[in-house]
Amino acid sequence: MALPLPPGLTPPETAFLCEMEMVTVIPRQRLEGLELLGGPIPPLNPPYRTSLPLWLALLLKRQRRANVLPPPWLSPPSLHSILDFEKSTPSFSPPLPLPPHTTTSPPFLPSATANAPPDALPYHWLELGEMLLEAASDDIPEPDNVRRLMRDLREVRMAKMRAGVGVLEGGREVKMNGVGGMEVAEGRAFIGGVVDGLRKIGASKEMSRREREAEERENGIGGGEDDEDDMDI
Amino acid sequence: MGSYYDIDAILTDAQKVPCTFDLDIPGLGYLDENAGGDIKAGTRVSLPLWLSTLLAVQRLGPSSQQLCTLDLPASISPRVLAALKAGPKTVDLRQLASHYYELAARVLELFEEEEIVDVLGETFKERAAEIADHAHNPRGALGEAQDFLRGLDEMERQLFRSAHGSSNAMREWMGETKKKR
Repeated sequence: MALPLPPGLTPPETAFLCEMEMVTVIPRQRLEGLELLGGPIPPLNPPYRTSLPLWLALLLKRQRRANVLPPPWLSPPSLHSILDFEKSTPSFSPPLPLPPHTTTSPPFLPSATANAPPDALPYHWLELGEMLLEAASDDIPEPDNVRRLMRDLREVRMAKMRAGVGVLEGGREVKMNGVGGMEVAEGRAFIGGVVDGLRKIGASKEMSRREREAEERENGIGGGEDDEDDMDI
Repeated sequence: MGSYYDIDAILTDAQKVPCTFDLDIPGLGYLDENAGGDIKAGTRVSLPLWLSTLLAVQRLGPSSQQLCTLDLPASISPRVLAALKAGPKTVDLRQLASHYYELAARVLELFEEEEIVDVLGETFKERAAEIADHAHNPRGALGEAQDFLRGLDEMERQLFRSAHGSSNAMREWMGETKKKR
């Protein structure tokens, strides 16, 4: 029978994907450019900043060969303003605007480099912030403050996600724009379970609605524009 | 409907619902603890869901008379529904039926009572929000929430388990990142 693994990604898997995000580092040692399968790594010349994938940046940071320049949104004033916004509205704070004509998605967007916009949370905000706070807390201004704000932000957003379940009903939906990868990984099991349950309970009603619609169509009342793929969650 | 081997579907089918026989049927007395005897019209018996739904849709003879009628089980009686409407979180669904929602959904397929569907959906949502809160902070599960969590039906238990699992996995990952230092 089916694999006992739940659908979706686990937190470590999400964090693994997040390690592809580019971050800005200030190298302390020279390193020649590397030709890796994931793309070329530019040569490191102290003291010029370079963008590296997070996994390499963390590695170099642990070996004390580089300092990480945290993205602008990972600072107390930015997090404060985002937290205030989250507290004042029922929706999530808007995600990072995509540059026009782009076809890429996270982790291939420069959303965690030193010149990322300071006023929006990128897709991998939670896991990136956690990893940077853990490995490079000495490069982040006021790390304790940032950690506290991150935790508050997470609590507020998780509470919103759980509250969103209450308004779920056939036809209505919960807007989840701006929800991060790790939050999806955490909320998937519960939200999916609720939606499945509601569908099971409402199955008979749904069926009679379909029958009624089919009848109306046969009698020529319903007209042509039926919404077959109008999915109720 | 789930898979053929879905244990929850099987257990749902085994739950008993009341039905009333409309005909005298010879030799079926053993259903009413009267082995060898006949079953009389108007007898009420509790039959498993799989049997009663089959009997209820079965027609006999040229007059196509119904063999038996399915009654609304006590677990979705107006009294219970009123209680659910008043306070969804205080009702012990497990005591009513271990697979409460699935039983109700199966029965409602035959009854077409849209109002009951609405009440049950509302109940499930309200209880789901409560379940999420308890799954999130495990201390609650031992304290005053114990009664509520014991009253969950099987579907809600699964929901609790999966919500608890993902919040646990998250906590584990967060703890791991701190330990590696």
